[in-house]
Amino acid sequence: MSLLQEEREIILSNEYVDNFDFAEVEEFVKNASKDLFISHNFKTKNKMLVQPRGGFPTYDKQFALNEFFVKSDVDVLPLTIDSNTRLNDYATAKKMLRLSEENEIDMLNGYPLVSHGYRTTRKMITHFNKPVSLRHGTPDARLLIETAIASGIFEIEGGPITYLLPYSKNFPLDKAFLYWKYVERVCANYSKLNEPINRESFGPLTATLVPPCITIVIQLLEMLLSLEEGVKSFSVSFSQTGSMNQDIVTGAVIRKLAKYYAKEINCEDADIHLVYHQWMGAFPQNKDFAEQLINMSTVIASMVGADKIITKTREEASGIPTKEANAKTVANTQYTLRILNGLPNIVDEEEEENLTNEVKDIMSAVFNDSADTLWRKVFNCIKNGIIDVPFSPHIINQNEMITVRDKNKNIRIIKRGNVPISDKCYKYEKSKCDLTKDTTSIVNDIIHDIGIMQW
Amino acid sequence: MKVVTGVVGNDIHVVANRLIDLSLQARGYEVFNLGVNTYLEEFFDAVIETNADILLISSLNGEAEGWCREVNILKSRYGNLLDKVVFMIGGNLVVGTGDSDDIIPRFQNYGFDLVFHQVDLNTGLDALEKYMEGKTK
Repeated sequence: MSLLQEEREIILSNEYVDNFDFAEVEEFVKNASKDLFISHNFKTKNKMLVQPRGGFPTYDKQFALNEFFVKSDVDVLPLTIDSNTRLNDYATAKKMLRLSEENEIDMLNGYPLVSHGYRTTRKMITHFNKPVSLRHGTPDARLLIETAIASGIFEIEGGPITYLLPYSKNFPLDKAFLYWKYVERVCANYSKLNEPINRESFGPLTATLVPPCITIVIQLLEMLLSLEEGVKSFSVSFSQTGSMNQDIVTGAVIRKLAKYYAKEINCEDADIHLVYHQWMGAFPQNKDFAEQLINMSTVIASMVGADKIITKTREEASGIPTKEANAKTVANTQYTLRILNGLPNIVDEEEEENLTNEVKDIMSAVFNDSADTLWRKVFNCIKNGIIDVPFSPHIINQNEMITVRDKNKNIRIIKRGNVPISDKCYKYEKSKCDLTKDTTSIVNDIIHDIGIMQW
Repeated sequence: MKVVTGVVGNDIHVVANRLIDLSLQARGYEVFNLGVNTYLEEFFDAVIETNADILLISSLNGEAEGWCREVNILKSRYGNLLDKVVFMIGGNLVVGTGDSDDIIPRFQNYGFDLVFHQVDLNTGLDALEKYMEGKTK
């Protein structure tokens, strides 16, 4: 038996798992409907796929939410996991699920997939026969993704960096890399049986003034870590920056460089997709304004040429949205996509060149690290600040980089810290900003720049 | 002057914490930032370890109330080691809505010298500077 299989058996022999039948699950994946695979939908549906967000604790409520989504012509169903399951606290998740079932109040902020188990969940997934995307935030997702794939969920979001740096203060990053290596391998193995399992990275990170070069570097590195384990379908992603031009430039550069670096490691046979997140920062309280913002995000996603868009709702500022509000966004977004025709082609060569150079500078520094494997190189580069994510709460993050918006609302680097962008690029970034201000007014600008969509 | 700062409890709101760090540095303080998700014991240990003059605790999700009731009890366990340290707290200090006129004396009773509920960052730091000037005179 391979080491991986031994590890799988340990992970799945757990008091919270009801007798995991490896052979039956393999048979299920082999014969599963192609419609369940988003990788297949990307190839056959000639449109931007629309995916909302959402997860409820009980089976019945999740089923009802999915019914609403399907009525609104959804392309991809989400399954968002509750925070106890994300932190591997299956005992609490199970208890809270029972309380939610008995009392008609939601005691969890998502669907406790491990507690429901794959036999139950599979009934729902195969009933709707739509691709489902697993949304979580779990550093150790080994049991979760085994359960997901066995249920018929063939898209797995996340990664060792993007699910750790925005969400955790002190979960060890080296452990996260190893746990995600397991995820990549399991996805790669199942991908041989039918259409490939799609892996998606979480580009928004902290969604707080993250400069595009940092977003792209992290997207590329998680992609490489996944492809090198044998994954054949991967989505890179980013969220609306606040500047339409910066979004278009980011989209162009990430697409170009994803292909370039995949080829560098001889993985050009993998399919790479681009996912766009509607505004991930603070939303306006006014629900009509929120709808305008959502609509504008859809227009930008079209300009970017995204393969999939992940939507927000008019209730974003006030908590977990109702199924009605959630379904409404899906219908509205589909409508906007249908009527958006004859889009102009915008190319900003100067910005593209600058961003490409920044990304290549940082990527070279990562590859030149003296460690022997890619994940160790990446680990070292996060530790020493070569990769620095603004506003990450994690203790390993350097927090030396400072970013602000320029007059066109592009996110610019005014202090690079240890991030090794060249002097030329650094000068270009700073030339767009007013550097005469003192720190107090810069801090006030940052507060304003973060809340840009609330004004 | 040295300041230990961080966000108390299971609160992961990092944005204000980073901005407090930047602003304190700009005002010439030496900052030891413990970040989000910090417990009272960790704050007190850091103050002693760094020989800090000021402890600035912040809170956004309103958990402060629950944690800060323990300040005086915990302080007494450290003997007189923390007697000269200025205790400051700011942010959104209670869950739901509350009146500053009630909240400020309550937190002063918990053991804080300076209390700021829903006050602009720089206004709070101006008041801290003034308070420290008054102390050294």
